[in-house]
Amino acid sequence: MTAPSPGTDVEVLRHDVIVVGGGAAGLRAAIAAVEADSKLTVALVSKVYPMRSHTVSAEGGAAAYVPGSDDSLEKHLYDTIKGSDFLADQDAAEFFVEQATGELTKLEHWGCPWSRKEDGSVATRPFGGMTVPRTWYAADKVGFHMLHTLFQHSMRFDRIVRYDEHFVTKLLVDEGACRGVVSIDVRTGALRVFLGRSVILATGGAGKCFPFTTNGTIKTGDGMALAYRAGVGLKDMEFVQYHPTGLPGTGILITEASRGEGGYVINSEGERFLVTRDYGVGQKAELGPRDMISRAEILEIEAGRGVKGPYGEYVLLDLRHLGEEKIMAKLPFVRELAKTYAGVDPVHEPIPIRPVVHYMMGGVDTDIRGATPVPGLYAAGETACVSMNGANRLGSNSLTECLVFGARAGREAVVYGRGAADGNEPRLVAEAKQEGARLEALRGRKKGGEKIAQIRREMQLSMERGCGVYRNQEAMHQTVAEMAQLRGRVADLALEDESRIFNTELLQALELANMVDVAEAVAIAAAARKESRGAHACRDYPKRNDAEYLHHSMVFFAPGGPRLDKKPVTIGRFQPEERKY
Amino acid sequence: MARPADPHAMQPSRPGRTRTAPPQVPDDFWTRPRMRTYLLFDATGIVYLLVGLVALRVAWALRDGKAAWDALLASFAHPAYLAFHGLALVCALFVGVRFFRLFPKAQPAHIGPAKPPPRPVLHAMLYAAWIGITLVLLAILGGVWPK
Amino acid sequence: MASDGGESKLRTFVVTRFDPDKDQVPKTQSYQVPCRPDWKVLDALNFIKDEIDPTLSHRWSCRMAVCGSCGMNVDGEPKLTCKTSLADYGDTVEIAPLANFPIIRDLVIEMDGFMEKFKAVKPWIIAAKEKAAEEGTYEQSPEQLAAFKQFSMCINCMLCYAACPVVSKEPDFLGPAAIALGHRYNMDSRDEGASERNAVFRGDGTVFHCSYANECSEVCPKNVDPAAAVNQAKLNAVIDWATSFVVKRSR
Repeated sequence: MTAPSPGTDVEVLRHDVIVVGGGAAGLRAAIAAVEADSKLTVALVSKVYPMRSHTVSAEGGAAAYVPGSDDSLEKHLYDTIKGSDFLADQDAAEFFVEQATGELTKLEHWGCPWSRKEDGSVATRPFGGMTVPRTWYAADKVGFHMLHTLFQHSMRFDRIVRYDEHFVTKLLVDEGACRGVVSIDVRTGALRVFLGRSVILATGGAGKCFPFTTNGTIKTGDGMALAYRAGVGLKDMEFVQYHPTGLPGTGILITEASRGEGGYVINSEGERFLVTRDYGVGQKAELGPRDMISRAEILEIEAGRGVKGPYGEYVLLDLRHLGEEKIMAKLPFVRELAKTYAGVDPVHEPIPIRPVVHYMMGGVDTDIRGATPVPGLYAAGETACVSMNGANRLGSNSLTECLVFGARAGREAVVYGRGAADGNEPRLVAEAKQEGARLEALRGRKKGGEKIAQIRREMQLSMERGCGVYRNQEAMHQTVAEMAQLRGRVADLALEDESRIFNTELLQALELANMVDVAEAVAIAAAARKESRGAHACRDYPKRNDAEYLHHSMVFFAPGGPRLDKKPVTIGRFQPEERKY
Repeated sequence: MARPADPHAMQPSRPGRTRTAPPQVPDDFWTRPRMRTYLLFDATGIVYLLVGLVALRVAWALRDGKAAWDALLASFAHPAYLAFHGLALVCALFVGVRFFRLFPKAQPAHIGPAKPPPRPVLHAMLYAAWIGITLVLLAILGGVWPK
Repeated sequence: MASDGGESKLRTFVVTRFDPDKDQVPKTQSYQVPCRPDWKVLDALNFIKDEIDPTLSHRWSCRMAVCGSCGMNVDGEPKLTCKTSLADYGDTVEIAPLANFPIIRDLVIEMDGFMEKFKAVKPWIIAAKEKAAEEGTYEQSPEQLAAFKQFSMCINCMLCYAACPVVSKEPDFLGPAAIALGHRYNMDSRDEGASERNAVFRGDGTVFHCSYANECSEVCPKNVDPAAAVNQAKLNAVIDWATSFVVKRSR
């Protein structure tokens, strides 16, 4: 059976809600949408089968208030806002903490195998920046269990129609509202256009813009780039979270839970430097917020107390004192990862670790409903910036965030859809055909001067230099210039693979273009923020400057180069104060 | 390097939207050591079938009277029969050991309120039962017990 | 993955190639790759894609053995290529798509047959009455969790299907991972759908096709032990069938 010819044949698929991305946020949004209305259908469009989504690699846990404990919504709210260095929108954070328990409970009803206390109730563990243990966990594979639970639960609904391995390349906006998406059916190479009343972007973050990241290869900022090119601002892009305990070289995540269960971070002299030296984490030591610990590690390495290795210098995570039994009960996956990827058994040896890019606090500008300024376009999860994480996210908040805002976006998209009109289909299909022609010209485009892997490497190294844990104005401006240059070079890629069927080279080229756009937004926002706040640590401006910089940064696409703007922060009951632990 | 598997192996119920190459297995799929052991394990079924036919012979001899029975016992002394019964014994031991190794993990964690004994205990119990029953049967057939 | 550690060694990779638009049948292509000592097979594949032959298609994502994308047959054995060290192999390594699956392109196999078997076992909590979030979580003791926990660890990598001799010969067989997943729900104290799933287990794809090869458990990278699940499911399916004559069921 021959596939339809791309560029000329266009298949149109009509659904009420179109969800792009099949991870925790996307699946939760799809489930919420079909539950909100008994007749509508949802297209779940993902470039990978949903159980491959990067949610799967999350390890530590998901935070929510446990009824009956000595925790409170107010404490969770305060921890989150303080953790954000007071840049979070407090109304969004408040909505988040209120919804958290219900969402994790629903997931439990759907089969999520939360670890339990002896009495059968859900267990919690301490986590960074949390004053009370409120992190629900499933051994040390929480993302895996949450994703599989959501995916398997979603299979009950015939009205969630999955389009696996479909790569969305463009949003269709007609008369100012988002009406659908253009995608490549990866299997056939054909163009498939999804038309509907609303689109929800849930494509995750963009860790692959950096050379060392916990993120898998699919985290290329696709949804962020799609929204950006459709005119939506990217908010707070400069805030890139470096997770303090990633393996050197591969960047593979060693969960914060290893510190939550009592692990120590030590330097080359065996010293627990977070305790013995003043790095601002106070009593919390290893359970301080991620931005502070990452900075402490870099400073230790710069002071000559790091360990030298084939992939650069690192410090150590010592779990030996926990004992084999505790490690096998609470951190079995950590042990497996350390043995397979670092050649180290944590029962007997400390694990080499260093800060690696993990999460983007920034993303597509949405409000508390998950709605972007473009009617019909929503975003949720890491792709979105509501903002509830502000300048630094606390560990275990993001999985719950995916559920809370995924569900909200799903419900809001349904409500919006009832009042919206369908787009002008002939006009949208014509636009889609133009996009198809562009893709056809790109596929197997032999006559180019640039290689994908080369540009990717240069982008990653530039981002490491300019947007690392510690930044300085000169390096940031250099990276801004380099990103602009790469943007030009991406237009001249040479592609070898002419095949239509499962052409992953074409996908890599599209992902690279997305990454360069997102990376440029990160760099330009970073250079413009002349203060240090949360994860953005600028050596030229080491202090937080609320007077001039208590706002969200906004980056907008413009033909001549990105345009900067600001957005105010919603302050609620917690006035910004000094962030000390 | 590769040879065909069943052409319908893992095919979806509706044909995919592109032509696929039929499923393959590596050339040594059926001859690798673990697979060879498994195939032998399943092949012992032929031996048991033959044992069943021998059992029929025994039943007919019992029906046909003492002369037939004596003739049957005499025929069992033939080297071919000895070899066959030796083979059957080897097969039974082979299958028994392999089956006993897998049996404990084939017990669900619980059936209603009932729980199986711990796996090593269950494993030991199987051998105890097997050896015990074998000894009792040998004693009966040998005329040693009951007296 | 980074590529900075130690002396490189040149290895030859014999990789299955298949483009349905150009090839009648799959063929192989050889590549010479300078391999770092700590590389996994996946690193070599990515080197081929990035530096030698961008037309090679393969699936991968997390590179930490949890997403299940990168299963392939390496020297004839189903492996997760992101977890398989080249140090364990010789100068020539054969990489083929997962056995027993139709091939879409190069190392990419058709997964929809698996997805159908997966859905057939109804892998979700079936409860007589939906519980509201306000009622709180179910009580589940650590012992109750342990009854099914191991079988919930499956990453859907399908190595077990590539290893199973029955999958190779019996297209209807539900297969190790699907049965293990159905069994996982049957053993979950919060679920009430065991009869429905046991009916599926006795149906066309019956668990009784399994004949104790144990290959699935030998190759499983996550120690799920699907052979245990399938054989436990056999016992449960029989008991369920026997008790159905005694106990009247609404489903």
